[in-house]
Amino acid sequence: MSKAKETRLFKTVIFGVVIYVLLVALFYFLFGNQLKYRGIDSSIQMVASTTPVGEILKGSSIKQSFLVEENAIDGFSLKFATYNRHNTGTVTVQLIDEAKRNILFEKKLDVSYLKDNSEVALHLDKPVEDVSEKVLSLYIFSETGTEGNAVTLWYNNQEKRKNQSLYINNKLVDGVLSFSVSEKRVVSFSTNYFLGTGIIGLLIILYGINLFIKQRTGKHSFGLNLSNALIKYKFLLRQLVLRDFKTKYKRSFLGVLWSFLNPILTMIVQYIVFSTIFKSNIENFMVYLLIGIVLFNFFLESINMGLMSIVDNSSLITKVYIPKYIFPVSRVLSSTINLMISLIPVLIVVLITHTHITWALLLLPFSIVCTVVFCIGISLILSSAMVFFRDTQFLWNVVSMLWMYCTPIFYPESIIPEKLLVILKMNPMYHFIRFSRTAIMEGVSPEPKAYLLCAIAAVVPLIIGVIIFKKTQDKFVLNI
Amino acid sequence: MIKVNNVSVTFKITHDQIKSIKEYVIAMFKRNIKYEEFVALNSVCFEVRKGEVVGIIGRNGAGKSTLLKVISGILKPTKGEVHVQGNIVPMLELGSGFDPDLTGRENIFLNGSILGYSEDFLKSKYEEIVDFSELGKFIDVPIRNYSSGMLMRLAFSIAAMVNPEILIVDEILAVGDESFQEKSKSRMLEMMSGGTTVLFVSHSLEQIREMCDRVVWLDHGGVKMIGNTQEVCDAYKL
Repeated sequence: MSKAKETRLFKTVIFGVVIYVLLVALFYFLFGNQLKYRGIDSSIQMVASTTPVGEILKGSSIKQSFLVEENAIDGFSLKFATYNRHNTGTVTVQLIDEAKRNILFEKKLDVSYLKDNSEVALHLDKPVEDVSEKVLSLYIFSETGTEGNAVTLWYNNQEKRKNQSLYINNKLVDGVLSFSVSEKRVVSFSTNYFLGTGIIGLLIILYGINLFIKQRTGKHSFGLNLSNALIKYKFLLRQLVLRDFKTKYKRSFLGVLWSFLNPILTMIVQYIVFSTIFKSNIENFMVYLLIGIVLFNFFLESINMGLMSIVDNSSLITKVYIPKYIFPVSRVLSSTINLMISLIPVLIVVLITHTHITWALLLLPFSIVCTVVFCIGISLILSSAMVFFRDTQFLWNVVSMLWMYCTPIFYPESIIPEKLLVILKMNPMYHFIRFSRTAIMEGVSPEPKAYLLCAIAAVVPLIIGVIIFKKTQDKFVLNI
Repeated sequence: MIKVNNVSVTFKITHDQIKSIKEYVIAMFKRNIKYEEFVALNSVCFEVRKGEVVGIIGRNGAGKSTLLKVISGILKPTKGEVHVQGNIVPMLELGSGFDPDLTGRENIFLNGSILGYSEDFLKSKYEEIVDFSELGKFIDVPIRNYSSGMLMRLAFSIAAMVNPEILIVDEILAVGDESFQEKSKSRMLEMMSGGTTVLFVSHSLEQIREMCDRVVWLDHGGVKMIGNTQEVCDAYKL
């Protein structure tokens, strides 16, 4: 018996370590490059435009040289003007390293797509590195421009900037072109990453060995108790989750389809309200809205169910011995099934709105797991509070409404005044939603700090919940 | 084996139970959160050896049910401790956790898991449970459509399908119509006689005399007498 247990533990630990190593490697392979660059504030900003440089004709050229402070750039933008007419042809924009005289980036723009007085942002697929303290220049010319059928660029003829000079048709002129450069700082991400993950991996292995020794000597250990309880009550937990899930829509006509329809319908209503009545200029508003709705609805539903879990199951608790934490946990997990179903409409809307789908979608499970863990923690706290004070449910109704307005679900986070930003940062749901939005809508991995914040926002409430629940659970029988 | 070591349970009874924060705060300010202590069990000590059938007798309110709850782990004793070796199946209440919207089949698995049966065990005993309950084709009907007799038959069939190491029985349960009552009674007697450790609470001295090796007599939360079935029953009767 104990031999079988030992091999099982051994297998679990080995399996855990292998999975961990695979995840670490996969993450680095997919997102290592994105996380190498850190955004900074010292980029070159655009000057106010005062004068156009004149039509960019065939044979004419505009060159703006500048000095880069940081060690990488990943994009720049220019301000075009079209003389308020429709032009045809192309304009070529080059990024040139002045010292080596080589072209770092080149793009041919179709003039007919340019809008009057618009900033055109050009994004480098792969950031150019090693440009620190180097003079670069933007070189703009046209192969097709004729008089009356050409565009122009804005510049400011008053502005003087150090280390920047503007040449129009190879002649140095006073002023600065209206342009901006997005600079990035290359950090030694991979060293930090492998150091951090290596330490965590080592801790996992050490903990595994610790469990192994404790099992052999039969000592008390939290990890062992937890895994034994999981094995013992796995079946019960599954049955309870299935029951909650099955009975939720049992007598409704559309059944499970409601998990699917609910977020879509909410989204449509809110989309209409906030895109017509209250104008909001969030990019890709539908996806933005839907991610917020789905995650926040899950939060509300699981807490509402978890809150009542102990009181609802009072008849069971006073008659059979079952670990009591199983009730809030099973309620949250059955809501998680609903959440999974609600993710299908998210995916559909992502496809419909032509949101660029990248590997970053694989990061979504991280924020979802964090949200689930967070909800379990809050459910543990509130369900035990509910036993002693039945007011909890009414109080929660108010708090949850307030919480919803504190979370940027249908409004952009930019409208929050700076002094209230602290409240936003304290809101765990904000971090989970923001993480998911970055992964889905921007298609990139959020910055490393976001991972840490999500993990903290999930684990701290769980620990508090476990402590409170453990302290009060023996008194449940006497109070329900 | 069950070892009950000096177990006491006291309930704090407030005269009007405070269930809301407002009431609590008001009561706190008035300083009249008065508790009255009610001693349900008072230093109870006894041991049940493996394979023994022990009866518990006593008047209403003597603490029999509280004692069973403490032994089966539902209630934590205020003082003292209980050691139990082996898995307990309490037959205190039938059909706990039945969900009216689920079918009989689904409820067998739900209720079975609540009673602590394993999945493999339930699967292997499933046919037996259905046969015993005599529900036939009704097993796939949501149990809200069952008659109360059918419900009790199903509940009993699930509860009676185990061979536990320790069985806790609060009265012999006879449910359903006459023939099913016969059947359920004989099934329970069979379970209690097969070498299992049994704790048996009953008001029927006849059954106690018939089944038990030893008897514990509880009175006002304390053990009044413990020993040979014959002696204790005779003393209790007086």
